[in-house]
Amino acid sequence: MRLGLTHMGNIDVVAKAIANKLGIDLVMTPSASRRTLDLGVKYSPETVCFPFKLQLGNMIEALELGADTLVMPGDLGPCRMGYYHKVLEQILRELGYKFQMVTQKRGIIHMVKYLTNGASLGKIITAAHFALAKLKTLEELERVVYEIRAIEQDKGEATRIYREGIKAIDNAPDYRAIGQAKREYLQKLMRLPTITSPAPLKVGVTGEFFVVIDPFTNLDIEIELGKLGVEVRRHISIGEWVRLNPFVYALGLREKDKSHKAATPYLSRFVGGDGWQSVGEKILHARDWDGIVHLEPFGCLPEVMARNIMPSIKEGPPVLNIIYDEHTGKAGIITRLEAFVDMLHRKKRRQVALCV
Amino acid sequence: MIKIGIPRALLYYQYYPMWQTFFEELGAEVVVSPPTTQTVLSEGSSRVVAETCLPTKVFLGHVLSLVKKCDYIFIPAIRSVKSKTYNCSKFLGLPDMTKAVIPESPPILDIDIDVNKGKHELYQAIYKLGRRFTWNPFRVRRASIAAWQANLNYQQLLCNHSLTPPQAIERILDTPGVEPKTHSEYPIPMQATIAIIGHPYLLYDEHINYRLIHRLKQAQNKVLTPEMLTTEELESATARLVGRAKWTCEEEVVGAGGHYLRSGADGVIGITAFGCGPDSLMMDIVQRQAQTMTTPFMSLTLDEHTAEAGIVTRLEAFLDMIYRKKRKRICV
Repeated sequence: MRLGLTHMGNIDVVAKAIANKLGIDLVMTPSASRRTLDLGVKYSPETVCFPFKLQLGNMIEALELGADTLVMPGDLGPCRMGYYHKVLEQILRELGYKFQMVTQKRGIIHMVKYLTNGASLGKIITAAHFALAKLKTLEELERVVYEIRAIEQDKGEATRIYREGIKAIDNAPDYRAIGQAKREYLQKLMRLPTITSPAPLKVGVTGEFFVVIDPFTNLDIEIELGKLGVEVRRHISIGEWVRLNPFVYALGLREKDKSHKAATPYLSRFVGGDGWQSVGEKILHARDWDGIVHLEPFGCLPEVMARNIMPSIKEGPPVLNIIYDEHTGKAGIITRLEAFVDMLHRKKRRQVALCV
Repeated sequence: MIKIGIPRALLYYQYYPMWQTFFEELGAEVVVSPPTTQTVLSEGSSRVVAETCLPTKVFLGHVLSLVKKCDYIFIPAIRSVKSKTYNCSKFLGLPDMTKAVIPESPPILDIDIDVNKGKHELYQAIYKLGRRFTWNPFRVRRASIAAWQANLNYQQLLCNHSLTPPQAIERILDTPGVEPKTHSEYPIPMQATIAIIGHPYLLYDEHINYRLIHRLKQAQNKVLTPEMLTTEELESATARLVGRAKWTCEEEVVGAGGHYLRSGADGVIGITAFGCGPDSLMMDIVQRQAQTMTTPFMSLTLDEHTAEAGIVTRLEAFLDMIYRKKRKRICV
């Protein structure tokens, strides 16, 4: 079995760590590129959402490199993603590839067993724990990077160090090496020369999971915001998604549960995907965020619902909606971000003036 | 008497007789919005973001036309009507979205229908809705049983008498139909049998599909729709194409498409609304199936900019192709 991996943010690091520990043959595809997207767009249905097209491109590239097993979770609530695997399989078979599509059709336990070649439960848990440690470290590093990016003197240094850090953590063979890499790169980040101007604006990034997580898809929106001197806040992450602590679940301490509760006066039902959370975050962070950038792929059902409901919420910071599809250009996004950040600055200055 | 408004859009075509019976049994008066017009559509579109699908815009237009004409508006949030299937996000959040974009709308009566949660939750939800009208739980029970019976009768009419939903509703309400009875009045032999697949709210809203069914009948074609198939036929065709259904509305697209492509129709027309999430994938599956079969298939995408001339031209070309194919077959 050669498992083909599709990219989504930092999930490569996690998958690689698990695969190494359990001896799974993982085909490392090159990270998403223009070619990946072109391939995906060429063979996808016209009006399907953007993540589908990218996934298809990724899968074709993995199959070209000799993968024979693909993973695509199905039946995940009322979002199109639960239907992806049926169409993806048909398209890829028509293109003449021979492979097996693994879904959790027969239960998630069966799926894990199949993918891990029947490794013992202890081994699986150890591997998963190790991979999650890496993920947690990455996300800690990421949070520091958000702060530093906004105030660093030489724009781009923090991103460079962060990328080195990802590589170092990816290559770390054990827990000690992870800890070492974390300390080293945190120190490097802290030592960067910074500017001492008034506190930077805090802008939350929220929206559809895949677009928010994946820098290739959202055209590095976090880096662009950092360049404009904005501190990014983001609660949607893979780490939040796979938090396995039962207490956190039971007490509703996850960001998701908190935002759902906050959204209830405006949207009282789960609408699939992350629509409910997008609405909730606007209310939940009315005070501590200066603005929200709401990302969605074109035609995303839950986010269209969220976008319809958001304007009726009187409290909460201003929202900039950015919709992604294969034609989205970076220049257009940068212009809109600049205008948005200018507006936030002006709003903040006025507030300060009023207070004085 | 309390007046309950029901918008003539979305699930109206599937459940109206049931809803009407339920509310009338509870002593309320039911007001249905008039058929869709251009004003309804453009007013609905003006309230929401552009990517919202066409049927939702039409629905909101109907809600707007009911403002000040009723005391309550009934907007159910139907999550699933079959175990382990889901409905589109638009249906789930419909009451919340209506409240957000039409603040002047009358109070909304909502009910969460989710059979995945079990019978108890479902009965509780119905009871909660009924409690708005009466304190007596037995009266609610009687009303819901009557409503269910009305729904079964309605399904029977659709399936056994090959009626379209608007015709069946007319027959139930006993109002004379506007559409001429093509079958009896013109004894000319039918040219071809055309199946139309898609959601009822696209197929039977004559404004948004430019009277497609009427046009097909006028050209002496027999028209087949998803409602004319039995549940078993739909289910087996769905299972053949995609396995277990994921969407509540999957059978009327994939099931009907799969069935008609294989048997019974000379050509199949798939109707979707632009930006419809489930359809973007489901119609693709039907289209792929059509490529491997010999039955011609045409996909029509509707949005508020769809022009009548464009639809007519494509329809004529499609029909010409089918007639030619039939003629050729006869010659051979």
